[in-house]
Amino acid sequence: MEAVVAVLLGLPMTLLVTAAAFAIGLVGGIPLMLGLRSRHRVVRLAVRFVVDLIRGIPPIVWLFVLFFGVSIGALRFNALAAAIVGLGIISAAYLAEIYRGGFATLPAGQTEAARALGLGRRSTFVRVLAPQAARTALPSVTTFLLALLKDSSIASTIGVTDMVFAANTFVRQNPMTAGLTPFFVAAAVYVAISIPLAIVARRLDARMRRSA
Amino acid sequence: MPQLITEANELATAGVTISHLSKSFGSNLVLDDISMTVAPGSVTALIGPSGSGKSTLLRCVNLLEQPDRGTVTVGSTTIEAGAKVTDRALLALRRQVGMVFQSFNLFPHMTVLRNVAYPQEKILGRSRAEAEERALTLLERVGLRDKAQQHPGRCSGGQQQRIAIVRALALNPRAMLFDEPTSALDPEVGVEVLAVMRELADSGMTMIVVTHEMQFARDVSDHLVVMADGHIIEEGDPRAIMAAPSQERTRRFLSAVLER
Repeated sequence: MEAVVAVLLGLPMTLLVTAAAFAIGLVGGIPLMLGLRSRHRVVRLAVRFVVDLIRGIPPIVWLFVLFFGVSIGALRFNALAAAIVGLGIISAAYLAEIYRGGFATLPAGQTEAARALGLGRRSTFVRVLAPQAARTALPSVTTFLLALLKDSSIASTIGVTDMVFAANTFVRQNPMTAGLTPFFVAAAVYVAISIPLAIVARRLDARMRRSA
Repeated sequence: MPQLITEANELATAGVTISHLSKSFGSNLVLDDISMTVAPGSVTALIGPSGSGKSTLLRCVNLLEQPDRGTVTVGSTTIEAGAKVTDRALLALRRQVGMVFQSFNLFPHMTVLRNVAYPQEKILGRSRAEAEERALTLLERVGLRDKAQQHPGRCSGGQQQRIAIVRALALNPRAMLFDEPTSALDPEVGVEVLAVMRELADSGMTMIVVTHEMQFARDVSDHLVVMADGHIIEEGDPRAIMAAPSQERTRRFLSAVLER
């Protein structure tokens, strides 16, 4: 019981890191996606390189680099900021790719019809393509969020006091009695958040499909 | 039956002139020095075997494909290939020309009403109320007013194509392009679409129709153009050509289509 309380004290931090990184990713993924779809080859290649680079480096390395490596003048990241920024950057790269995939599955006829009607590039993108791409991308975005929730636990390695950090601490402080219980508790909480989220996402997806 | 487009009589419809148009995809010459004139208010049917370039020619008229050489004129707007085409000139041309596709291409995330109203708001600057009123009037005329609040996915192919025609008409185009409008439809459903097109032709709209519907080409069009391998091999009065084609290639094509 004590273990449960101790681990749950880490829950707000887990949720904070996940939500903040996801928010950065949702917004930051948009300009990256635009770059991946740019009409200019140079821009496309440059952004492609950046996205692949971000995704190619393991999350834990990102956090270590940001936490231990960045000290520009007065700018130093504390553990929480490093975790949020690091996971945020990674999320932006993955979500950019997911967004791009959402656009890629749209039939060419949609763009052609919009152009033939005389709609400009902007209206075509914002009013015709983007809403459809968002629908196609939604399941992948949710899957990514669930993965991010669990990946946020690596923030514990740089000292962010999330659920895994709390479980770890509890085990160290009660070496004789704790056993693996705190980790099972943490696992149960992750599952308890993930499953309802997945169900909501599936419902949303099904509803959108029906209206489409 | 009321006239489908009263506006067609108010706004004079425009003629379409294509001159010395060429287009290649890579090393494949798809259109080779094509010239063609469509008089205002007339209907031209474009027929020929697949791969003959007829769809590409149609798509060059509103610049969905950029021709390599030649000019396209619709009404008073002329676009010359090769020269840098500004977005403004492109929009000016497209706003005069409506296009209907084989695969309808309605916007699946909008209701039928929004499909027809949204482009009017954006392009003609109509208010939402005004645009929706016009959309409902036009939908009524093709018998689909009751579908206004549905999404296109709930409509049959024939209904979707009629909605696509209405969506284009709502913008008061001065000419309409049809790219095999009935090819994706069952024959009995295609009839509904052809009926709307026939009415549109009767109301004086300039139309260029790429089609395999020989009966429509013979009965409705004023002018028949037969294409093969990127060339116009024969053109003239539809009945005359169908009765007695002057080219062997045309004869083979017609007998193949009519036997089907």
